[in-house]
Amino acid sequence: MFEQLKEFIVNYVDVEPEDITLESRFIDDLGFNSYDFMSLLGDLETELDVVVDESEIVNLHTVGEAIEYLEKLKD
Amino acid sequence: MDKNKIRTLQDLVRESACEYGDKIFLREKNGKEISEKSFRNLYDDSCRLAGYITSKYDGVIHTAVIGGSGYAWLVSYFGTVCGGNGCVPLDAQLPCNDICELLNRADVSIFMYDKKYEVMIDEIREKCPEVKEFISFEKELPQILSENTPAELPPVSPDALASISYTSGTTGKSKGVMLLNRNLIDNAMCQDNESTPDDVVLSILPIHHIYCFTCDILCSLRYGNQLCINDSMLRIAQNLKLFQPTIIMVVPMIAETIYRQIKTISDANPEIPKSAIAKKIFGERLTTIYSGGAYLRPELQRAYHEMGYQMGQGYGMTECSPRITTADRFDKDCAGDVGIIVNGCQVKIEDGEIMVKSPSVMAGYYKDEAETAKTITPDGWLKTGDLGYIDGKKLFITGRKKNLIILSNGENVSPEEIENKFAGTDFISELLVYSEDGMITAEIFPNEEYCKNMSDEEIDKLFKDKVLEINKTLTSAKTIHRMRIRDKEFEKTTSKKIIRRQSEHGRIVK
Repeated sequence: MFEQLKEFIVNYVDVEPEDITLESRFIDDLGFNSYDFMSLLGDLETELDVVVDESEIVNLHTVGEAIEYLEKLKD
Repeated sequence: MDKNKIRTLQDLVRESACEYGDKIFLREKNGKEISEKSFRNLYDDSCRLAGYITSKYDGVIHTAVIGGSGYAWLVSYFGTVCGGNGCVPLDAQLPCNDICELLNRADVSIFMYDKKYEVMIDEIREKCPEVKEFISFEKELPQILSENTPAELPPVSPDALASISYTSGTTGKSKGVMLLNRNLIDNAMCQDNESTPDDVVLSILPIHHIYCFTCDILCSLRYGNQLCINDSMLRIAQNLKLFQPTIIMVVPMIAETIYRQIKTISDANPEIPKSAIAKKIFGERLTTIYSGGAYLRPELQRAYHEMGYQMGQGYGMTECSPRITTADRFDKDCAGDVGIIVNGCQVKIEDGEIMVKSPSVMAGYYKDEAETAKTITPDGWLKTGDLGYIDGKKLFITGRKKNLIILSNGENVSPEEIENKFAGTDFISELLVYSEDGMITAEIFPNEEYCKNMSDEEIDKLFKDKVLEINKTLTSAKTIHRMRIRDKEFEKTTSKKIIRRQSEHGRIVK
């Protein structure tokens, strides 16, 4: 999932995949704005065939938190 | 549609059914399927709900509706107002406590909601004893619609209350804006030839917001547009491809971000024209983009015109149903105005403040005569609280009156005027200008992506150089004397506007 997510992230922001870590924060470290971030989650919904609860988005700050949340949805 | 026949929202829904009948009015995603409803469906279902409410309750009542954009929301709203009752559209992001407060303040009898709010119902029942009935979009509403035949609607006066819309506001307690049937109808009818029945509108903005409600919903009913629902802010990109709209209404951040995406792809592939990249993102059919809710940079408007789109920004406020100006979507010059003053609306400038008199102006704030008297003069002029000027038919905004910084020499400084000078600065993500210890202070949240390999000292230098450059364009009294840099975003309202009074501030740049 981490590698998959990195591929999506680099489509949105100008960052090298090797610079993305589980601790990277989407807005503070990777340079996402709120619209980019929501669009990324929208793409992941389609890719993973899950439905993201918009009220949960505020709790997703880091790449690791997003992976944990998406994996829970897949289960 | 003969607009002279339309005096109430009931007239609008009925006439749209007469004129456009079985034509598809609304398309929305329902799981993986797309469900469709016609103009006739909306009228019939509104009559069913209106009949149910008027047969069960005596006199005029208030309902509240909360949930995502969609057919159930629209039936809840129009089923209320077509029966002569008033509806309170609530912000879907409000926490339970605020919902309860507004239900009590607005004297709501029926609460209509989507399933997301089911978990709050026990608390609402306990805290809002005046709410007598709970109608969920998924259970009770379909049952009411299936058990009732379309009722003959009672006559509704144009002076009947239609909505109580609570303003989110960046300061102070929210106020209940009372909009009458004739206010909303005037605003939906004030311009002509804005679209045709061939147009497809993708509704992106929150439906409780008056800008979305009048411009997306009421105007689509008037012009016979097909209205497609963007089911989530997560899925704008997918929904643009799915519904292929011809018209969208956005806030500037969306226009900015999509343009940045187009520019990034174009920089990497200079042989592909930007207009072709834009078509991949917006779909083949898009012709028109309207922006509102905040200031849109003229450079960005011009960039969209260069890609072949009609684009413009309008200006308004909930208290004015909301349009005061309408976007001049053909104007490629983009002189920084916020559009052309709409028909039937008088605008004057008094002490720098924009004042409006129009049939769209609200009846007042619900149960708040003191605030109403502060906002509407005895001779009917609405004080917008915005500062600006008129040039011909165009309106220009320079700032918010309540944000004015009064300097010790008595001079007034509009922080927005200074903030706008930073627009488009790469290294700044967010900015606020305010007065601190008698000094004009600029505080930024840097663009972390842009600044990721920079030291604090390098960012400080960038900021200082920018401020020096801007100070040269300002009169001495308005120059920025203090700079602050913060390491987290500014606190914002639920509509994502920066709150001017922040509880914490960033470090001072030496």
